Amino acid sequence: MSTENAAKDTRIRKALARSLNREPESLADDVVLIDLVAESFALVETVINLQEELNFRLVQDDLRDVKTVGDLVRVCADRLPHP
Amino acid sequence: MISENELWILSFYRISEISGSLFFGRLAKSLKAGPIQHDMTRHYADEAMHAWYWTDCLAKLGAEPLELGTAYQDQYLAAAGMPVNIMEILAITQVFERRVINQYAVHSRAQDIDPLIKETIERIVEDEKWHIRWIRDALKDMEPTYGKDTIDTTIERFLEADREVYAKTVREHEERVRELLPT
Repeated sequence: MSTENAAKDTRIRKALARSLNREPESLADDVVLIDLVAESFALVETVINLQEELNFRLVQDDLRDVKTVGDLVRVCADRLPHP
Repeated sequence: MISENELWILSFYRISEISGSLFFGRLAKSLKAGPIQHDMTRHYADEAMHAWYWTDCLAKLGAEPLELGTAYQDQYLAAAGMPVNIMEILAITQVFERRVINQYAVHSRAQDIDPLIKETIERIVEDEKWHIRWIRDALKDMEPTYGKDTIDTTIERFLEADREVYAKTVREHEERVRELLPT
């Protein structure tokens, strides 16, 4: 992973951890997102939080196959502008 | 005293208003300052007040709210997929608010409706009209960013889901809501 991509990855994981009120280290790539929240609307809230905090926008297709933390970090990294 | 069916329906309204309020409250907390944050904060407060109106209405009718597991909007995500950005949140809310207004209008025309229930509905519907207005205007303002076609397609997707969820809810609770169904 390039330095730039590693920096993006870290920013996304930190924002995700803040939104979910967890430690970034606990968010391994293979953790299933729905297991991290009490109900589906909390997941919606998390996705909106990420976009607001990091200033990017997701579209419906981006999340079609997203199941895990790793999936979400990847699609966010694709949409996140370079610093 | 109110009937068992009325108790269920008013409890259902109450829990749906609470779910809406909690959802908008959390969103209002995370949105950046601006017109959408401003109006969503009022929307959140309105929904909380509506939950209070139903709680108070039930108390005045000598009843206690039933504990209901899921609110109407919980079923939306399963039917329509998760809204992924703020435009989609507003689109699904617009569809939901239209359903709410229609449902309250049908209920307020029910035969032998208790005056207190009618009064509560009328009070809430005034706020709901504003909810539809502010969201319509916000979606219009988003057209340059998201595109009118995308917004229209998103609303259509949620309308389809709404029809599906409403039909399912009516099927599941036919006995309870029969008197309120449009003839």
